[in-house]
Amino acid sequence: MKNMKLKTSLTTSFWKKIVITALSVCMLTEPAMAKADTIVPYDSYNYDYWDNIVFTPAAYIPENSVSGTTLGVGSFLSPQDLCVSPDGEVYIADTGNNRIVVVDNSLSQTVRVIDSFEHDGQTDTFKSPYGVCVSQNGQIYIADSENQRIVVLEEDDLSFVKIISNPTSDVLDDDFVFTPLKVTVDYADRVYCIARRMFQGIMVFEGEGEFTGFFGTVKVNITPWEKLWRKLSTKEQRSRQLLFIPTEFTGIDIDADGFVYASNFDSNGEQAVRRLNPKGEDVIRKGENANVGGDLVISGTSDYSGVSTIVDVVYRDKGIYSLLDSKRGRIFTYDHEGNLLYIFGGLGTQAGTFTTPVAIEAIGDKIIVLDSNRKEMLVFTETQYGDLINRAVGLRYDGDETIAVDLWKQVLMLDENNELANVGIGKAYLTAGDNVQAMKYLKIGMSRQYYSVAYRRYRNDFLKKYLGVILTVVIGGVILIVFLVKWRKKKKGIYVDDEGGAFDV
Amino acid sequence: MRESFSVAKIKYLFYTMTHPMDGFYEIRHRSRGSVPIAVISVILFSFVFSINKITASFIVNDTNPRSVDSLDNLGGVLLLYLLFCVGNWSITCLLNGEGRLKDIATVLGYSLVPMTISYMVATIVSQAIAQNEEGFYSIIITIGTIWTVLLALSGIMIVHNYSLAKTLLTLILTVISMLIIVFIVMMLTDLVSQVYGFIYSIYMELLFRG
Repeated sequence: MKNMKLKTSLTTSFWKKIVITALSVCMLTEPAMAKADTIVPYDSYNYDYWDNIVFTPAAYIPENSVSGTTLGVGSFLSPQDLCVSPDGEVYIADTGNNRIVVVDNSLSQTVRVIDSFEHDGQTDTFKSPYGVCVSQNGQIYIADSENQRIVVLEEDDLSFVKIISNPTSDVLDDDFVFTPLKVTVDYADRVYCIARRMFQGIMVFEGEGEFTGFFGTVKVNITPWEKLWRKLSTKEQRSRQLLFIPTEFTGIDIDADGFVYASNFDSNGEQAVRRLNPKGEDVIRKGENANVGGDLVISGTSDYSGVSTIVDVVYRDKGIYSLLDSKRGRIFTYDHEGNLLYIFGGLGTQAGTFTTPVAIEAIGDKIIVLDSNRKEMLVFTETQYGDLINRAVGLRYDGDETIAVDLWKQVLMLDENNELANVGIGKAYLTAGDNVQAMKYLKIGMSRQYYSVAYRRYRNDFLKKYLGVILTVVIGGVILIVFLVKWRKKKKGIYVDDEGGAFDV
Repeated sequence: MRESFSVAKIKYLFYTMTHPMDGFYEIRHRSRGSVPIAVISVILFSFVFSINKITASFIVNDTNPRSVDSLDNLGGVLLLYLLFCVGNWSITCLLNGEGRLKDIATVLGYSLVPMTISYMVATIVSQAIAQNEEGFYSIIITIGTIWTVLLALSGIMIVHNYSLAKTLLTLILTVISMLIIVFIVMMLTDLVSQVYGFIYSIYMELLFRG
């Protein structure tokens, strides 16, 4: 026992040392890291195990905003989409001005403006380019919405590659007008496109632009009540009722392995994003709250209440993805297990808030949000708090949970109730075999699963050690009691009947 | 056996637990029961219930311990107890029940004992279980609850000298009468507050004119 205690204290002092070193290293190497307690024009919060709102330090703070004017290309007009190319340039679909603006990595210099391209020896232009995407193979895909086509250009010299238009298939209506809105491309140059009024799912184009089918259809859930109501109503009534159609996807992104992240509006507020595998099946993981739909419940009847309206999704790195909510202007960030990491952002007119956020992207440690009404991009930079969480989650994604512990300890210094941090530390203690410490942290982190593992181990150890003593005491006690009772009866000579002395004669 | 508290009376609490037929019969006809002990049993149950919600291990406990108010629980349990007693009494009076209000109150209080004990035991057991072992916890509570329900059922049957079918019928009617009582009380409160408001406004009017 003494030995074990010594070991515990040794490990704690060991951790302390690590934390102190890590902190001092942090202070030395990253003096410019934003502080988490900077005053920001929005709330930063998270949900705890009981779905209560817990305010946290800010994970991201507004850095600056970039508009067409500051870039020297004239004001944007209703821009709709953002894309970061593999070499770090930012493509902005300036929809109202019928052009694509390309900005460099630091968002300070305009690299070029694409407003026309050579096609069959003629100069062709765009009409309301709604979405843009740059493939890993260096080709620009532009969803040229009003021209009903997707234009593909070489990134290097803007030479024409191909045009994807007029999808033909038996499953499409004859009067279907192809209006591409958002587009993304995987490593094999398969094109995934969200089209207007296309409820069957994401349209997939392969090879030279042949339409091959739908992808990731959202299933419609009809409640028994709605079914009954429909059965009871007459044909005329039915024709005037709302149709049960799947919701359209709103935003799309793709990770390096070809998994498509697609956001949609969910009226239940439970799942506003899907992670689609190459077969089109949803393989997203949900965390503790079983919710990847933004805000949990915000009740009331005002414009502010109701479920989040997720308009775009960005896959960042190491399984982390962020959702953009246009209803309350919030950005929700989840890890690959579906745990909500942090929430920030808000609507308003102050610097650092949105009016109509439409698209989100990430470059390095920055998050950029495109606001179509304010005609600018808002740049958010991570604070120490956000950085610690991102790095710790990244380490866990790679399987290095033990290394993540000192990061989680630093998170706890900034936000001592952070459940993820407590679970992270607890799991590390569990791996190290310190069950008592593991139980302590896992209980604060409300992780039933891992707490149980730690507790079982602790219980087994305890029983192994003391089972002999316990059994001896119990058996000895029983014998003693039986003996005493018999002796007492004999001595007093009173018959105690089994009705507990009901007949006290 | 007239006094409310005595060792024999407290012992009798546990005797009824295992011998409901005889036990409740003697409560009705030989004054073996005690209303104060029954009320204490109800209060004890409400406390044990609160303690369970607050301290049961988080493996089995989905309640936020910070949201539990033991006084709220006590008020709720006592109110429900009173409501059930009065409701049952008012129905059985009309349906040839032999039980007095005193007997109903005693029977209900005494039949809560198994539930109190099971919640206590379950709370202790919950400290020593891990995930996938929640069954042990819930079976203890289930046994206690079923036992309590059976005790209450047989108790009400015996003190009123009813058949089982008639008891079940009166229980359904009891629930309805409880709802009616709640409705009347709410309506009365509303009316009284309106009358109060009326008198208050007359008073204010006089005050301003005078």
